[in-house]
Order: sequence, then structure tokens, then C-alpha cells
Amino acid sequence: MERFCLTKRDVFRVNEDTWIVSFEETIDFLPGQFLMVETPKLVRKPFALGYWGGHLAISVQIKGVGTSWIVHESKRLKAHGPLGNGFVKPGKGALLISPTCVTMAWAFKKFMDVDVIVGSRTPVLLDLGFETVVGDEAFLEKLREVSRKDYDWYLVAGSRSMEKVCWEELKGKREVYFSLEEYMACGIGACKSCATLTNFGIKHVCTDGPVFRGEDLCWS
Amino acid sequence: MLELKPPLVLLSGPAGFGEYLKLIDHRFVGAVVLKTVTFKPRGGNPPPRMAEGPFFLLNSIGLENPGVLSFLEDLPKLAVPTIASFGGETYEEYLEIAKLVKDKAKEFVAVEFNFSCPNVKEGGLTIVRDKEKWRRLLVELREILDDSFLIAKVGIEGLFVEDAAEMAYQAGWNGMTLVNTVRGLIVDKGKILLGGLSGPILKPIALRAVYEVKRRFPNLYVIGSGGVYSVEDAKDYLMVGADAIGIGSALFKDPGIVEEIGRYLLEVRR
Repeated sequence: MERFCLTKRDVFRVNEDTWIVSFEETIDFLPGQFLMVETPKLVRKPFALGYWGGHLAISVQIKGVGTSWIVHESKRLKAHGPLGNGFVKPGKGALLISPTCVTMAWAFKKFMDVDVIVGSRTPVLLDLGFETVVGDEAFLEKLREVSRKDYDWYLVAGSRSMEKVCWEELKGKREVYFSLEEYMACGIGACKSCATLTNFGIKHVCTDGPVFRGEDLCWS
Repeated sequence: MLELKPPLVLLSGPAGFGEYLKLIDHRFVGAVVLKTVTFKPRGGNPPPRMAEGPFFLLNSIGLENPGVLSFLEDLPKLAVPTIASFGGETYEEYLEIAKLVKDKAKEFVAVEFNFSCPNVKEGGLTIVRDKEKWRRLLVELREILDDSFLIAKVGIEGLFVEDAAEMAYQAGWNGMTLVNTVRGLIVDKGKILLGGLSGPILKPIALRAVYEVKRRFPNLYVIGSGGVYSVEDAKDYLMVGADAIGIGSALFKDPGIVEEIGRYLLEVRR
């Protein structure tokens, strides 16, 4: 873990509100790990580490002025990382993601034998290199199809509603994992703000995760 | 007197148990104030625990900590001077903590007691509501930890900071951390979130608190904290008399600011 600056290389629009930002520099990290990026706001924001076109990259969903600044205005980004626990699994896996995790998916492809399915609510404007479905109905159909294939493990990374839908479909499987997003301030275990309720009590997404087993999470 | 070089502390709460030292050059950190430890272990409040607005953060961590017994069994060993922070849920718990800590108090350059956490139902901020009881508590804690540099961390609620300072000074306490977060509430997507306000919004309030205390009690060592995000902010705190500068929420924006402010403080306090 260290502090560094990243120089923006390219920006690509993925869909209505999500962009890929690639960088000139590279850092060593494992799939699932993330970094915290400074914005004009008061708290750094976490982004899953990944690749695009062979370059270090993050996917950014524009939610407000901070994420908009990252995509449209910044040239150099202060950051610290890599943070969190890496996720590397043997066997054949299925990765079900929203467009906000597409760069992370390329990191998974680098380390693991994994099929990637992207579910987007709005039309995708870019060839992501993965099977992509648009709309809730299409995603549900694809989810059922993926469930029938019986992969060694599944990992879901997306919105809370996407996670819930996937858990309902996949909870009978042996190994189902979720890469969680929680509001996070430090990313290093100091502030305790990224608490999430699990069946083993409070856990912290930054130090205990970000990847958790589905059966350990509280779904109610 | 507490001689911190530089006179810059990473504040209890945001600084955790020293995790930020992995990201910051130690030469620019005078001390780390550890996360407040309570008598019993606390799991903290349920999520969500933090939100932000244009000029503030609102946190509701709820003093998540392992409890004083676990803490004392496995004391954090940091590469910089360390200030412990403790808080009770009752009068008696504060005293029990002090008795338990006494034998290991020399491990710390100072011991801070948190009388102002706004995010717990018992203890925290509520302990100062009964002035006479709090005065007795200060005296008893001073008697137990007779060799320690004692710091009282207070907010602006419950009683005036200058009155709190007078009681602490008369009880023989050495310093104060001014100020803790202030109770706040935001409505986020139709949901009410209660917590403690920090960030730039706190700076004028904290500056006034430091000013009022230092002009009455110049010998009290005051750590000024609230909205320090730049060297300019630190200069303002020095102007109103702060002996040390506390950095809390600014760590979440840029840990590098510690090195900038620390470098400045080393220069002006050489």
C-alpha cells in the first residue's frame, strides 16, 4: 500500500452514466483489490482496480461532482492502494457484473479461468469484450442460464439490487461471492465507516473484504 | 509539558490505531491519538456510518473498539509518540479504566479522556451534563493517573468550553482537545442520519473554543482540532493559541496534507 499519482491516459464512455478511465502508470495488484482516489470532495472514493486495453484502469459511474470531476476534468489523480484482499480462485468461475466493474473483470481474466457477463440497465456504447445483456429481463434470463451451467464459483459485483437478485438465484450453489460497495473514507481499516452486517457481526469492507461469501451476508 | 515534534497529532477516530502511518512520513507526525477505547468492547453502530456534504462529514461510528482489557493485552506499538484515548459509559467505568490503565500509562506520552462522543447513548457527551459529577470525575481520574499528562477531549455541547477548561485546570489536568464533533443530522434520500459533524464546517467553532480557553488558561496545553485541511488552517489555530494542531477528517481527503502541515510546523517551531 502506498500513495501515488495517476496520469489519465484515455476516457471511454460505457453507457449512460459509466466511463472507463485508463492511466499511463501501472501498479501491482490482485483481482478484487481497489484504490482510493481523491476528488474535490472531502472523502476519497474507492474504485476496483482493473485494466482496459492492457493499461491500468478503473470504471467510474458518475454519481455527483466528485466522480464527474474524475471523468471530465482531472488530469492527475492522487490515490492510495492497492487495498483490500485479493480474490484468486482455481476452477472455472462466472463473473456477473454491472458496467461499473468492467475494468475489474479484465483483471479477473488475467488471473483466472472465468466467464464474464455484463448486465447493463441502459444501452452499452462500447465493445466491452464480454457477453453483455441490456435490461432487467435480459439479465434475469442470462442469470438463470448461467446458474444452470454449474460453475465452480460465482462472483457478483454490481448494485445492491443486482446482488439480491443474483443471491436468490445462486444461493444453492457451493461457492457464491459478492464484491461489496459501502461508503468508505479511509480504505485502510482506520475509520470503521465501511461497516457491513454479516452473520458473524460487523465486518469492514476495506479490510475484511471487499469480497464476501454470500451465505455470510445479511440479506434481509 | 508535552513536547511534540512537530506539534501535530492525528486525531482519535480517523487515525484508528495508527494505520495511516503506513501512508505518511513519520517525521511529520508529532503523535497519534488512538481510537477511543471503552471499558467493554463495542461493536459500533449499524451502517450507514458516514455521509458527506459540501463542507462537512457526518459520522456515526459509535466507538467501535475491542474494550480496555483486550487493548491493554495487545498495545499498539507505533513508530511515533502515542496518546491513548479512553471513554466510559458511566462514571464508574471511567474510573475502572483509569485503574486498569495506570500500570501501562507510561507507554503513552499522554492519556486523553473522551468526554464528548456524540454517537453513543450512554457516556460520551452525556457525562458532562452534571457539572459537579464531572468535576469529581476529573479529580478522581487525576488522582489515579497521577503521573500522566492528562488531556480532556470536549465538544461544545453540555457546557461552555471555558467552563469545562476551568474545571479541568482546577482538577490538575494538563490539556484539552478542542473540539470533538458536534451533533448533527442530515436527511439522505428520505432517511434521517444522526451523527457527529466534522470537516471545514467545524473550523470557526473550534477556533472560537481554542481562543476562549487559551486566553483564560494559557498554561493548558490545547490541541486545536476541527477543519484543518491546509497550512493556512494550521496558521489560524496557532494564531488563537493552539499548542498543537489536530488532523482528523482531512486524512480522508489527502493523507499527504499531514506532511505539508508537519513540515510547516517543524519550520516555525524550530
